[in-house]
Amino acid sequence: MRYGSYGAGIMVLAIMTAVGLFLAIRGAQAIRVAGGDFLTEQAWEPNSGRFGIAAVLFGTVMIAVIAIAVALPLALGTATYISEYAPTGIKPFLVGVVDLMAAIPSVVYGLWGMYWLEGNLLPVAEWISTHFGWIPIFRVSRFDPQDPLATPTVFTASAFLAGLVVAMMVAPIACSVMREVFAQAPVGEREGALALGASKWGMIRSVVYPFGRGGIIGGAMLGLGRALGETIAVYLVISPVFVINWEILSTGTNSVSSLIALHYGEASNFELSGLMAAGLVLFAVTMAVNFGAGIIIQRSRSGASS
Amino acid sequence: MTTASVPPPPPAQGRPLGASHLMRMAGLASLVGRGRGSARLPSSDPAARPLRLVGPGRADRPARSARRRWGAGRRAVAAVGMVLLAVGLLSGPGGLATPARAVGSVHAPIVGSGSTWSANAIQQWIRNVWVNYRWKISYSESGSTQGRNDFANNTADFGVSEIPYAIANSNEGDTRPNRAFAYMPIVAGGTALMYNLVIGGKRVTNLRLSGEVIAKIFTGVITRWDDASIKADNPALALPAIPIVPVVRSDGSGATAQVSIWLRQEHTAIWDAYCGKVGRPMVNGHCGVTSNYPVAPGSGFVSRSGSNGVASYVAQSHAVGAITFVEYSYALNTNFPVAKVLNAAGYYSEPTASNVAVALLEARINQDQSSPDYLTQDLSRVYTNSDPRAYPLSSYSYIILPTRLEGSFTEDKGLTLADFGAYFLCEGQQHAETLGYSPLPVNLVLAGQAQIERIPGGNPAVKGIAACNNPTLDTSDPNGNALAKQAPYPDECDRAGAVQCVKGTGGATSLSPTETANDSKPSGAGDASSGATGQNGGGAPATGGANGAAGASGGVGASGALAAGDQTSGNSNTGADGGTTQGVAALAGDAAVVAQAADDDDALEMAAASPGSIPAPMSSATAQIAMLGVGAGMLAAAVLPPVLAQRGPRRDRNRLSALAGAKPAGTRPGTRLS
Repeated sequence: MRYGSYGAGIMVLAIMTAVGLFLAIRGAQAIRVAGGDFLTEQAWEPNSGRFGIAAVLFGTVMIAVIAIAVALPLALGTATYISEYAPTGIKPFLVGVVDLMAAIPSVVYGLWGMYWLEGNLLPVAEWISTHFGWIPIFRVSRFDPQDPLATPTVFTASAFLAGLVVAMMVAPIACSVMREVFAQAPVGEREGALALGASKWGMIRSVVYPFGRGGIIGGAMLGLGRALGETIAVYLVISPVFVINWEILSTGTNSVSSLIALHYGEASNFELSGLMAAGLVLFAVTMAVNFGAGIIIQRSRSGASS
Repeated sequence: MTTASVPPPPPAQGRPLGASHLMRMAGLASLVGRGRGSARLPSSDPAARPLRLVGPGRADRPARSARRRWGAGRRAVAAVGMVLLAVGLLSGPGGLATPARAVGSVHAPIVGSGSTWSANAIQQWIRNVWVNYRWKISYSESGSTQGRNDFANNTADFGVSEIPYAIANSNEGDTRPNRAFAYMPIVAGGTALMYNLVIGGKRVTNLRLSGEVIAKIFTGVITRWDDASIKADNPALALPAIPIVPVVRSDGSGATAQVSIWLRQEHTAIWDAYCGKVGRPMVNGHCGVTSNYPVAPGSGFVSRSGSNGVASYVAQSHAVGAITFVEYSYALNTNFPVAKVLNAAGYYSEPTASNVAVALLEARINQDQSSPDYLTQDLSRVYTNSDPRAYPLSSYSYIILPTRLEGSFTEDKGLTLADFGAYFLCEGQQHAETLGYSPLPVNLVLAGQAQIERIPGGNPAVKGIAACNNPTLDTSDPNGNALAKQAPYPDECDRAGAVQCVKGTGGATSLSPTETANDSKPSGAGDASSGATGQNGGGAPATGGANGAAGASGGVGASGALAAGDQTSGNSNTGADGGTTQGVAALAGDAAVVAQAADDDDALEMAAASPGSIPAPMSSATAQIAMLGVGAGMLAAAVLPPVLAQRGPRRDRNRLSALAGAKPAGTRPGTRLS
């Protein structure tokens, strides 16, 4: 039995290494041609030898950051409510609903984002851009709030939309992790806080959150890992551009995984090598994020005890 | 092979086989299930728990016995599997040593990949042959570039592409595959410019564009709808000052390739300048032909993958100002208008089946049978076809056929592919027009029928051209094209100039809002007291004036009547929006008789928008309630069981632990305290 589990553990590591090696070997051809420009070039035209992942990687990170910025408060609030406030009668129901959300396939979220959310998000994006346009990332240069005829089409297929769709997928996962950790906050300490006269919210702030800090950060990081790699939902909602677009509300963004999904089928051997190299970078980034999450969870009180 | 003589053997033969398989599987399942059940019973029995605590050895026993039984079950499965495998190998089709011109024995399922441009036609043909003959064909709409790639990599049995491999002046390295192949035209069609434009709350359906304006729109030179050059094409429209959102394909696409060939050839300077703007290298001194549309950073272009992707983007209600190039059928399916494009004769024409057929009379087809590009098209003279009916952006779509047994392609697959080819070259062409395409002319059908004879394993029942009812067949003139001959000439209002037709285009048949009354040309049916509509904004008063035109009285009568109807309703109901005014128009007093004709016209075009085999939707209220019910049921099924299962035991346990004053001993994750 012991050997079996050792074997399984080694197997997992071996598969991880094999995936990394496979990507590195297949991507080597493209990286050799592109050289150092591979990380700084924004265009993606492998046929003319001018290609890099600067824009694509930027888009990936931007979408993931937006997703986490939305999903983190959502997940934290939901987890707190379910573990601390919800009546015992509906708690399992809520847990079920959240788990169900995590089980919805991402293509469904993508279609939902494409056909429903996009149209309904336009007024929101327009409002943000009108009132907070002085913040650089909320500015949309092709949108003039003074123009009565301005159309909201400049807000379609934006990084904001993609980020929101991904947030819907990330929030349940982060929420589950946080809820588990909150539930483990020691009863003694909780009761101690209450005995000292803390209100319920005071108890949560002084006992549950400090205890669950590892879970909160870890959940967010796990969600970030998923957001970085999300493929089909992003593929469906974005309009791919190969330029670093700081205006998160305006049309056009990109992500590594959707680039691969879009082009792998029609790629020549060399283009495929470029896509593998892009995949390798994403693999490295995702792994770093997940390792970071693991370390943070390990070092926290709740993580060490679990 | 006629419809009647085609044997439908696969299902008939397959059913008893499938049933025996099922029975065998069921027997195995019950065997395995029994073993499992007996293994589980002791551990799920509460009485067994103390046993486990007392002695692990004894608790292990049921598990070991289970393993033994599992082993027996597994051996049985393995034995049956080996037998099945052996049977499969022996009876397998083909074998190793087969003669060169063997014919497939059964219609094996085949897989195709490629163009989304012609996908609406292909999918309809696939549905038809499935319903009639039970030939299983699956086609993935992945874009022409992927279609050519999938064929080259042997992942698809046939590819569909608008352009051949290795075209000249291309930006892409698209080499011919090692696999032996042949091209065959499947259908003709027009690359339409579908748009979403609203003036004063009413959808514009009669936009006209010249080639140069199209080129400038899709190269980011013209960026707003109120540009003077668009205005020059559309004297009757009060174009709004909103940005143009050109929607292009993000995947490698044959439609993009066709448009870029046209741009390269007809608007070289504009296209070259665009290459500089997006940083594409020149090919042979000019901007190259490409399947991947380049987009300039920050230009406001939107890219979507697939014809469905671009068409559904444009068809969204919020995408006002968007325009895309896509096959005409997509505009019909989404009930959206297409722009009429200016041809060399100075008329604006719509990509209807007959206009496409007229334009393609000038297509030059490669007639060199020894060339790898045999039957491919050269459209340079189509772009400049001087017939007033011609639609300049017309083209043929091609299937790429395997001509040798290679990779996973077998004779049985060849049989399906050849029969499918014979079907769509013959019967399939009859509904090309209803689907939004244009049928192949007789000479290409004949050439195509010769090509499908080259498919290995095929035994196509090639019908004589007379039996096909091809709409282009002219019995009196075998080399002529009946569809092109009978194509109606355009109305006078379609000629470049100050008059503009108000009749809708594409899938949108409603009347378009016009800015001012057209100058009347008192001739023919022009006296139908029509006027420009008053739908701009809150119902500006309609300025009179006949919207007359010489020539075909039917079309003019219809548009005149509709205009009159609009005017009537505008009086009674100012500010009403498009949909309802149309309804009122049909009932409005003295226009009723002519409006009836217009309605018939509409009905015809609406029928074209929905091919027959698509089932009609249920009545909306019941359907919605039913779907809501199903949704709620599924939600309940997913959420309620754990709730109901957990509620009882958990409460008991909590009470117990509270009574004992100790931590709960269970290891249920939700209640674990550490």
